[in-house]
Amino acid sequence: MRIACIALMLAAALPACAQETTVRIHSARPFGYFVGDLIHARIDVSAPADSVLSRASLPNPGPLTGSLDLRDVKLSETSENGARLWRLDLTYQNFYVALDARDIEIPGFELSISTATGAQTVAVPAWRIGVSPLREIAPQKREQASDYLRPDGSSAFVDEATPLNLAFGAGVAALLALALVARDRAWPPFQQRQARVFSALAREISTRRGAGDAHLAATIQSVHRALDRANGAILLSADLPQFLRRRPEFKPLRVDFERFFETSQRLFFGGERSKDDYAAEQLAQFVSRLARQERAG
Amino acid sequence: MNETLHLVQKLADWRARALEFEQEIQKAVIGQARVVRLVTICIFARGHVLIEGDVGVGKTTLLRSVSRALGGDFARVEGTVDMMPSDILYHTYLGEDGRPRVDPSELLRQAETLPVFFFNEINRARPQVHSLLLRLMAERSVSAFNRVHHFPYLNVFADRNMVEREETFELPAAARDRFLMEILMAAPDDEDARRRLVFDPAFHDTETLLERVSPGTLDYRETPAIARAIQTHVRSSDALERYVLNLWQALVDPSSAGVSLPDVDLDSLVKGGASPRGLAALVRAARVRAWLEGRDYLVPEDVRDVFIEVMAHRIFVDPIHALRGDDIVKRLCRAAFDATPVP
Repeated sequence: MRIACIALMLAAALPACAQETTVRIHSARPFGYFVGDLIHARIDVSAPADSVLSRASLPNPGPLTGSLDLRDVKLSETSENGARLWRLDLTYQNFYVALDARDIEIPGFELSISTATGAQTVAVPAWRIGVSPLREIAPQKREQASDYLRPDGSSAFVDEATPLNLAFGAGVAALLALALVARDRAWPPFQQRQARVFSALAREISTRRGAGDAHLAATIQSVHRALDRANGAILLSADLPQFLRRRPEFKPLRVDFERFFETSQRLFFGGERSKDDYAAEQLAQFVSRLARQERAG
Repeated sequence: MNETLHLVQKLADWRARALEFEQEIQKAVIGQARVVRLVTICIFARGHVLIEGDVGVGKTTLLRSVSRALGGDFARVEGTVDMMPSDILYHTYLGEDGRPRVDPSELLRQAETLPVFFFNEINRARPQVHSLLLRLMAERSVSAFNRVHHFPYLNVFADRNMVEREETFELPAAARDRFLMEILMAAPDDEDARRRLVFDPAFHDTETLLERVSPGTLDYRETPAIARAIQTHVRSSDALERYVLNLWQALVDPSSAGVSLPDVDLDSLVKGGASPRGLAALVRAARVRAWLEGRDYLVPEDVRDVFIEVMAHRIFVDPIHALRGDDIVKRLCRAAFDATPVP
């Protein structure tokens, strides 16, 4: 906002201070306000560098007089020439229905400032603005009372197409995202989707800690149970060809499957252990590959 | 140590001969590889066999081939409604002098050299005959002419007539339990085998067909010792034993083991038959299968491969289901496998 400095300037002399505290009031114009107009004023308070303004002493928005409201108060703090400068932007609203051009008073207020020497009060003085009437005192005689009324201002045309399109696009994107989440979580209507048993197993195995044959045996058993669930019945190595026919997404892992079943057979049923047997880490990798194929399928 | 090595070597030799034995049989009986494998298992498990199959699918040819490949004799009787136990043991005829004579039957005469005894249509014979057969199968001996006759190498193969119901006597539970397996023998599925059976004249004459089988590929006199060696040599792990016991539990109390069949109340389905003897027979047959596969330890596939043949005919279900045939038992067996985790 372009604010022109007007003639109001007041210096409050503070004899105890080496540096003076000054208050300057700027307003856009000192006259030409109608009923309902907003009056913007900027009040610059300059004080010694070590001063502190008490925020509690700032004026509160609300009715000031019967026809004047304080609508908004904004404070910013800067330094200027080694002094502290508080910039107070005040917005008043005038409700005075003037019948002729006259001045009304904007009431003053006090601010509390603490300095090294103690608390001080700075008075922002009252100042005046000129208000003007909207109509003449005795208007021309009209037949109808409604003739005195002025037509409403025409409404601004707003193009609805762009916001509607944006809203529609956002709605579609939201529904799509919801469908993706529902599919991922197997919410209805995706609850019929085959459970991702290997993904769950891969997560479970990654949290397991242990070593040795007992750990390996427990992991192998978990893989067997997951395979059973994927197969819908107990899966033995002899069933592997039928299983791969039913679940072709796992066909690329045929060699891994065979190695897994051989490891399991040797560990649980008594064959000679072989260097080809899966170790726990390789088994985890096998399960990760199963999970990947499962997601791909 | 040397003894163990010797045993391992001996079993390996015998396995090669058993596989050769199967090849020999399949020269005469084509398209029946599974049946031949099951019969081989029964021979090395020393178990008797119920064969179920239509007329003319090659049961007799199979058994005569087995007998020839074993190098022993072959005896066959036909079950009839008026058959008495004495008909099996004694041969009665009029001598040249016109006097009645009683001689040992073919079965008795061949007692020491008989590996294959085929009882055709066993359910046409009366329970007295079943009773004799029960002893013959359980003890491999019978009493005749005031003395006990032993059949040290005997394997009984019996066929049931499942088509006709009139004038038949269903085998009692105890007799059925004496059979190690019930093997279903159907016409081969393979089109090439079917064509050869129908159009190749070689398959029209059983006698010439049998000549294709080299006699004595196995020596039947050695089978009891080999059978014992297999049972001691093939190991079963803890996991496998647990698996078999869980399967047993699934048959005895299906609902507690999580087994379910649609439209069937499993609590009242099984009335009996999943006996310790049945399970022991299952493990015996599975061990032979493992040996034939070249392993010295059991795996679940061994158990599953022979399970229905070994167990289904021993399980007795509620009569309301029995009327629908044995299918319900086979479904129960499959459901038990589907519900029993391993390892």
